[in-house]
Amino acid sequence: MRETIRCARHSSALMGAFIALLCLGAFARASTWAASSWHDIETKYIFGFTTGSGIGIEGEKEFTIDSIGRFGKRDGHYAATETKYEYEFTPSQFVQIEFGALGSTHNIGGVTDLDNRNAAGFAGGFAEFRYLVLERTSNNPLSVTLAFEPNVRLIDETSGERVHNYEFETTVNADLELLRNRLYAGFNLLYEPEVTWTATGDTVREATLAGSAALSLRIVPNVLVGGEVWYLRHYDSPTLSAFTGDAIMLGPTLYVQFTPKMFMVAAWNTQVWGREIGNPLPLNLSEFQRQRVRLKFAWEF
Amino acid sequence: MSHPMLMPIRPTLAAVCTTVLLHAAPALAQQAAEVQLSYSNGAFQPSEVRAPADKPVVFRVKNLDAKAMEFESKSLRVEKVVAAKSEGVINVRPLKPGRYEFYDDFNEKARGALNVQ
Repeated sequence: MRETIRCARHSSALMGAFIALLCLGAFARASTWAASSWHDIETKYIFGFTTGSGIGIEGEKEFTIDSIGRFGKRDGHYAATETKYEYEFTPSQFVQIEFGALGSTHNIGGVTDLDNRNAAGFAGGFAEFRYLVLERTSNNPLSVTLAFEPNVRLIDETSGERVHNYEFETTVNADLELLRNRLYAGFNLLYEPEVTWTATGDTVREATLAGSAALSLRIVPNVLVGGEVWYLRHYDSPTLSAFTGDAIMLGPTLYVQFTPKMFMVAAWNTQVWGREIGNPLPLNLSEFQRQRVRLKFAWEF
Repeated sequence: MSHPMLMPIRPTLAAVCTTVLLHAAPALAQQAAEVQLSYSNGAFQPSEVRAPADKPVVFRVKNLDAKAMEFESKSLRVEKVVAAKSEGVINVRPLKPGRYEFYDDFNEKARGALNVQ
């Protein structure tokens, strides 16, 4: 186990150094760009875990590797990741479609109510349909998109157990251009009902309701930095009738456009407040995690 | 199995749809505002163009340079590679009043804007 943790730390350090080098390269390139480089930017990925309203441009296709890591429970050692291998395209000037496969890893030891596990595997698939409801113009800074994302999972996101899970994520993605081509605010509303059939034959129905707010500042034409805050509520019922706990997560975000066709997103959220119904201890570590990290690389073609 | 009372409705419905489509297609074509642009020496000519609001816009971009360019706009949500010495046609939805920037994705200095009024 120690060896695994040491390897994971070593890999994280290497990944950190790699990202730092890429960012330095992007900053160096940015310094050579003219003022004319401050043209419109796609807002979908500039807010970290919060999704902007952008739907891309008609005919554009993109391949993405999007990893979310979740770390820390009440006790023991907990590290889980889910990676989307995603193909995204924009068939019209109002609609964007995405689909892909999910991969997951679980490294769990000594966590109450969770089995010890060290596993990686194919976790399922997903699709997403996005429709631009309100578009930004030079006279209207607000843009709004509705998104629907059905997911099918064969591995439970939290425990890593074999399950059949069906989730239907519905979100409102809105963003506001506060300063022309410089400063943006993003807002999400999320409703995520799901049903899970476990290996023991149990049926679990639950839902997550959440809202977020984010700010992102374009410090050079190809780099945006910002921060976001999420408020998440968990229910043991898709109809939101059985509230079990809530949490607030916040943290910084980074978006780097390396080339006109390649970009990276990084975000880190930490739980700063939370509660579990029936548990007086601070934070909600039953339904959520202490930390979550997002790292996404995308290539347009 | 079809209900007998519904049978006469089908030809009527088909006729209505055909009529609507036959009328709508030329109407849409007529409504589109055409914007002519040329691209030479790494710049758009003219760099500022106009179009009426709430009508589709058709850009005709003539690339006079000896290398390809990519007409792109995040706000118009279109992109098209136009080969050297050729013309590209880009269809844009009806637009609300405002200023919409466009640029050559292969040459960031080449920029222009569509003013919709």
